[in-house]
Amino acid sequence: MGKTIFQCCARNSIARLIASAVVGTTLLFAAPGISHAGKITVYTSYEEDELAAFLDAMNKDLPDVEVDVLRLSTGDLRARMLAEADNPKHDVIWGWAATSMVDPRIMEMLEPYSPEGIDKVPARFRDKDGYWFATTGYMGAFCVNNEEMAKDNLAMPSSWQDLIKPEYKGKLVMPNPASSGTGYLHVASILQMMGEEKGWAYLDELDKNMDQYIKSGSKPCNAASAGENAIGISFALRAIKNIDEGYPITMVIPSEGAGHELEANALMKTSQNKEDAKKFLDWTVSKSAEAEYNKWKSIVTMQGRDMPEKFKKAGLPDDISTVLFEVDYAWAAENRDRIIAEWQKRYEK
Amino acid sequence: MSVGAPTVRASRLPDSDRLFGVFTVGATGLLLVTFVLIPLWAILKNSFVTPEGIGLDNFARYFADARFITVVGNTFEVGISVTLTTLVLAYGFAYAIQRTCMPFKGVLRIIALLPVFSPSLVQALGLQFLLGRNGFVNRTFGTEIDIYGFWGIFISDAVYAFPHAFLILSTALAVADARLYESAETLGAGPWRIFRTVTLPGTRYGIASAAFVVFTIVITDFGNPVVIGGNYSVLAVEIYNQVSGQANFAMGAVIGVLLLLPAALAVTGEKWIARRQFASLTSQSVPLVPRPNPARDIAWFAYSVLVALAILSLVAIVIYASFVRLWPYNLSFSLRHYEFDVQNGIQPLWTSISVAIVTALLAIVFVTGAAYANHAFPMRASRILYFLAILPAAVPGMVLGLGYILAFNTPGQPVYLIYDTILIIAVCNVYHYHAQGFLLATTNIKQISSTFDEASATLGATKLRTVWRVTLPMIWPTVLAVGVFFFMRAMVTLSAVIFLITPSTQLAAVSVLYLDDRGALNQAAAFAVCIMATVVAFLVLTQLALRLAGIRGVNLVR
Repeated sequence: MGKTIFQCCARNSIARLIASAVVGTTLLFAAPGISHAGKITVYTSYEEDELAAFLDAMNKDLPDVEVDVLRLSTGDLRARMLAEADNPKHDVIWGWAATSMVDPRIMEMLEPYSPEGIDKVPARFRDKDGYWFATTGYMGAFCVNNEEMAKDNLAMPSSWQDLIKPEYKGKLVMPNPASSGTGYLHVASILQMMGEEKGWAYLDELDKNMDQYIKSGSKPCNAASAGENAIGISFALRAIKNIDEGYPITMVIPSEGAGHELEANALMKTSQNKEDAKKFLDWTVSKSAEAEYNKWKSIVTMQGRDMPEKFKKAGLPDDISTVLFEVDYAWAAENRDRIIAEWQKRYEK
Repeated sequence: MSVGAPTVRASRLPDSDRLFGVFTVGATGLLLVTFVLIPLWAILKNSFVTPEGIGLDNFARYFADARFITVVGNTFEVGISVTLTTLVLAYGFAYAIQRTCMPFKGVLRIIALLPVFSPSLVQALGLQFLLGRNGFVNRTFGTEIDIYGFWGIFISDAVYAFPHAFLILSTALAVADARLYESAETLGAGPWRIFRTVTLPGTRYGIASAAFVVFTIVITDFGNPVVIGGNYSVLAVEIYNQVSGQANFAMGAVIGVLLLLPAALAVTGEKWIARRQFASLTSQSVPLVPRPNPARDIAWFAYSVLVALAILSLVAIVIYASFVRLWPYNLSFSLRHYEFDVQNGIQPLWTSISVAIVTALLAIVFVTGAAYANHAFPMRASRILYFLAILPAAVPGMVLGLGYILAFNTPGQPVYLIYDTILIIAVCNVYHYHAQGFLLATTNIKQISSTFDEASATLGATKLRTVWRVTLPMIWPTVLAVGVFFFMRAMVTLSAVIFLITPSTQLAAVSVLYLDDRGALNQAAAFAVCIMATVVAFLVLTQLALRLAGIRGVNLVR
């Protein structure tokens, strides 16, 4: 800077320019967004690509409803909705983890609504008082990297029991239940499946083979896909998408049954445009929505579906219910704090 | 040489100056209280909320947790080791840029800043591509390097913090009085002695500021530890676990309060250091212009190239990965990742640019204004002002973002007027990175002697006039650098703004997050490359505009 500080012929004009630019731009951008009828805001945790496909179909079916969608991960969205509780910005929650939806602080913001055609969704995928209903869901699965397995001459695991074999030492990665809802779902379903005592004993063994507990729920399958770990305990859809993307991985659904999570929809009590919000929720159980779900989701709660080719190729059976473990969501939600505390005491150094 | 902070006391100022002083300090204070203190209180007060009522139970419960000591220990281990390493590396790099005649300074300077051009998760991605178990190095050389854990966080945070330290240190080293160096040489001091007795003391304030900034951003960063930290727990990740993982605002707030302590310590330290900082630039100063010295220049050049290569390799591998079909399995060239299939395609990039420009303009006025107010009007209130100005560095973005919702999402109160617009996002950016910009500007202002002010006052000029005619002309390159810094941060920041974006104000960095979330790593890399290209293009265009305006020799990135 040396010599420049004393040669500042342009200083005044620059300062003036900056000052006027600040004032001008500030005024320009200060105009608040105007909300008008025919427009609703939807919060969702559906992934970007499936969301885009769903919205395309929705726009064709509901041309007169303008739907603004904001997508955040399940945990971030929950934090945001709780913080916004005094003045919620959204009309509808769409495709969001049922285990988070049952949080009483969220439930008290909802208004019961049963869309037209809700009967297609079996009662066990709905709240008994009609506060929420789930049209889709995702199920647990292992992502196994073929190249990494071949490198060490390892056999493909097929069950939870296989994962504690000593030859998989240091090969496993799973989401940390303290930071990820999906991680908690795995732990909760194991404890329910085996009973608490045997469940913890199993988790102790699993821990011996674990390379790391990744903080985000979406990462273990990606780590396995990239070859950073051999086996990622993750979700079926991720495995299917990554196989489709070209990664050398195999999807394994544990033979004891896979834990699963439902993606639920609900109406906000505070919505300023309930008419359109309800139209939208009606659409989420429509034939056309169902057709889109079928293309993208491993679990569609409406009955009688045609499994897409890429799902079958990845190894998903035609009838999902044969491989699902019935998770008791109420139990999982009630015992959450206790289980996570115990888990952290045992496995987090 | 004049010693010490300005000696003019507020009470001796003429009336108009008093008014001006009260106005600038008051306005700055009001803004800081509104946009830092109120949102922080809105969220951190949750730490006192327990099922039994208001109390300290949450703190007691957290301190009693067996893991507490380990996590705090880890946080300090990473914080201190990264701070020391980064300071040494960045000081050397800044010294080479400002005090030698080595070639290619412009390019090296840009490379040093590359890490702030991309979202921090991209850097962790780069590290995974490069040094991961299945990364470039292990695949190519058959090694078995395992970086997950301490070393992963150490490397990625050191790279992440490097530009922040470099900017402040480079500003500190940019100004010097050649007469001091001449006298030292005449008295027979060797280069090492000169460095110890002249250079180092002259940059003391810069070093302390950089140390504070690096330490706080390392202990509050959660992006890197989440991706590359393995099973190594640090406090910032604990906040994420509590808030995003378990929706437990109370415990998240407890950890948030703990992270504020370093900021409180820094305020105490600042007073002590500022007293020992002398102004390098006085009215009689002769600016130091480095003279060529081939041996020295080549040595520093070699050093700078090494550091630059290390940074470049992390970025280069991300760029490379964006152009191959499927990293690391199919390395044939492909442009398919540049056909973005995110919801709004490339649109968020334009929103980000608008946000970044507004952020930069606001920062130029309010952040440098805060630095000036704090320096020129040493009132009793300015200790508080200083604390508020640097406090945001100790606040994780997630805490600030949620605080903004809690504090401002209430119809009827004034800030709600800008809520849901890109203005609130820009304001949040300004105050999220306030400390860095504030210290950058303060480092420069402190080096300018108060004799300029005094001379100006003697000639009958008011403070306001002095600012306009004397101070601003001397520091405007730094003012511009503050704007550039905020532009860059606004393009890539994530953790606070994801709580403030709306469907119509989606940002580019958020698109990268979505893509990374769903495992489209190559596409995430490609989107990040677009962001980096935008920032570089912005720097080049601004530099061109300055040239066209007839201003030469100004480095936007100091």
